[in-house]
Order: sequence, then C-alpha cells, then structure tokens
Amino acid sequence: MTSRAGICLAGLMFAAQALSFEQVTAQETSQTITVTSPTVKEGQPVPRQHTPDGRNDSPALTWSGVPSAARSLMVFCEDPDVGNPPPFVHWVVYNIPATAKGLPEALPIDPAAPLPSELAGAMQGTNGFRRPIYRGPAPPPGKPHSYHFVVYALDSIVPVKPNTPALTRAELLDATKGHIVGRGELVAIYERK
Amino acid sequence: MSDDRPRIISRRDILRRAGLAGAAAVAAPAAALGAAAAPATTEPALQAQSPAAPPREAFENLTATEAELLEAIVERLVPSDQHGPGAREARAAHYIDRALGGALASSRPAYASGLAALDRYATSSRGKRFLDLPATDQDSVLIDVETGAATGFAGSSAQFFGLLLNHTRQGMFGDPYYGGNAAFVGWDLLGYPGIRTMVTPADQKALEAHELKPNHKSAYDYETFNKATAQHDLHTHEDLAHGD
Repeated sequence: MTSRAGICLAGLMFAAQALSFEQVTAQETSQTITVTSPTVKEGQPVPRQHTPDGRNDSPALTWSGVPSAARSLMVFCEDPDVGNPPPFVHWVVYNIPATAKGLPEALPIDPAAPLPSELAGAMQGTNGFRRPIYRGPAPPPGKPHSYHFVVYALDSIVPVKPNTPALTRAELLDATKGHIVGRGELVAIYERK
Repeated sequence: MSDDRPRIISRRDILRRAGLAGAAAVAAPAAALGAAAAPATTEPALQAQSPAAPPREAFENLTATEAELLEAIVERLVPSDQHGPGAREARAAHYIDRALGGALASSRPAYASGLAALDRYATSSRGKRFLDLPATDQDSVLIDVETGAATGFAGSSAQFFGLLLNHTRQGMFGDPYYGGNAAFVGWDLLGYPGIRTMVTPADQKALEAHELKPNHKSAYDYETFNKATAQHDLHTHEDLAHGD
C-alpha cells in the first residue's frame, strides 16, 4: 500500500490535518533530500524488528542531497493517521551534524547513553510517549497506518538549554521556522491484525 | 549493580513522584494494608541450593516463577545506583507478595495473568524470557508494556504496568512494617528523616539544614500506634468487610 492510500484509509479528517502540515513545511523547503534505509522500504511494511512486535530498535537511515547551506539535520518518525492533533510522533533526533550521512540502527534507549561519535552533538527528542527514544509502530488492529521518516536540513543548530527536557517535534518545528533548507521523507506502513 | 545500566524510570522521576505516594503510604492506617497480619517471611526456602546460588526466600502468595519475574521487574523499575539501593534491596516484591494475601488480594488475578503475559510478550518479541534478557532489553520490554504497545495482555498492557509501578512505589517507600522499604532504604533515598511524635526547635533547624539524621523508626515502633492497634484495626475492617 502506498503512503497516499494509507492516508486515505485513515479518514478525511486526519488526511486534511496531515495535508496542512505538509503545506507548512513546503513553504520553507528549498531542496529535496533523498531518504533511504537498508531495512525500511518505501510503501512496504516496517520490518518487525523496528516495532514492538519485535525488538523495537530504531531503523538505520541514510540520506543524500543535503544542501551545502545545512549546518544540522533533524529526523522525525511520525504517523499522520493518529494523534491529537496529528501526527503521532514516534521518534525525534535533532542537531545531527550536517556531515552525517545517516543514522545507525538501534540508537540507545537509555537517555544517558551517548550517541555514536559520528553524531556528536545530536540529541534524541521527546516522542509522543514523552520519552526521548524511538518507539516503533503499534497501530490498533484494523487498518494499516503510514509512518513517515522525515529528514530536515537546517541552516542553524537548535539551541539547547541545560537541564531542560528534550525538545518535541512541535517545539523543534517552531524553533526552526525560517531555517529549513531541505526536506525529504521515506514512507512505510504497518498494520496489526 | 553498576551505575551505567539503563533505567526505565529515572531516579529524579521516582523521587519526584514518590514524595506524595511515600508520604501517603507512611500515613496510611494499619488496616489499610491487610498484609500487616501476615507474618514476616525471613526463612530461606527449604530447598536444595547450589553452593553458588544465593539463598531464595519463600513467597506467600506468588508462585516461585511469578516471584522471580516480579523481583526482576521491580529491580528495573527502581534500580540500585549511586544514590542508593533500589526496589530489589527494598524488598518491594516481598511487600507486594504479602499484600496480595491481604489488602491487595483483588489484584492477585491481575498479577497471575499480567506476569504470564509479560513473559510471553518478552519471548515473542525479543526471543527470550524476561529473566534471560540483558537489562537494556528488559527496559525496552517494560517501556512497551508501559506505553500499551505490548500485546497479549487482558486489556491494555499499560493498565498492568500502572498496577506494577504503583505497588512497587508502595513497597519502596511505605512503612517497613508492611514488608517493603527494608532497612528504610526508601526513606533514606527520599531523605525522609522518619516518623516522629515530637519535633523540637533544634530538630526543625536541623531538618531545614538537611542535617536531621533519620531515626529509622516505623510508625509501629511508637506505643501510640503499635502493632496491636494495627491488628485490632485490621480485624475490625475484616469484620466490616464480611458483615454484609
């Protein structure tokens, strides 16, 4: 099933809200980033190991086409089919060095554990479960949901205040208004019987 | 246990949330927890042990399999770290076990089905029983149970997690009389100086300066609120419970 079909299945209301989000981000985006993964494939089911039906490890991502103006990158995994308001956020990573070519699989779930050295300065943000970690797709049984792995290139680094909670997707989008110089996404689906 | 093990809930979270819960547990009347009537379980199980195995203690209500699993879970919910001992050392699982024969008896079926479901979920998702998983994977399983993403539970797994966490806090920070908070480790973690029937001006000054030494006294160490009173209150409540 394609991502477009997944959005349609989720209902007109959710689709409309997801569309408004796309419109907002499109206003600032100047260059398309190509996002791929060794395990997650466009339009295909998210592999079990990246869901709570398996180990629930974050997937490896790779990207290309990052604008030369980029100083940092941020990554979200979001489900536009649910959330109040949508999307429901499964994963947030920000302040990824612009030189990084991707994210390795299975980023740590212990907030105190360091990220790999090639991601120096990067942080995992707060997801919809209020945790600064990856938690994979777990839709209610019934119909497939679509999962958007979105990569943003920014011409800035997000300021980080000490002793404050990791930022949410909404806070990051607010903080980076006018600083997005590239965007790309990989969309997969997942369904529970 | 080393300090660098991942934890499902941070110390700061536990301390922030436990302040009220702990105080409430301390202030609870004796009859609030029927487990008070149960005798303390301190005798090692009379079973063959390998020379290297630590002695195992008998549980009163949980099966050996359930008890072993519960011990491992509470250890991940409040792990030992540089700030002090955790829920295993506080004997939170023993508190829960005793209480399941008293005030928490209505939760016994939830523990039977919930613990079995958690172990099945660990096996189906991570390939091993919960006890056999490394700490990081145990935490990952517990997070999925907490968020309701785990499958195979009667209802939402989040509901069972809430039950577990609530009872673990009680076992960690309640009055030691009820079988948890062993050696007052929970109160020491909170910096709670202990139950006092009288506070002098000097005590108050020391408390404000964080210099008041804990007295390590249970409420039932005082004559005004002793175990005989607790037993009396317990039986009174039992009579009421079975009187209609």
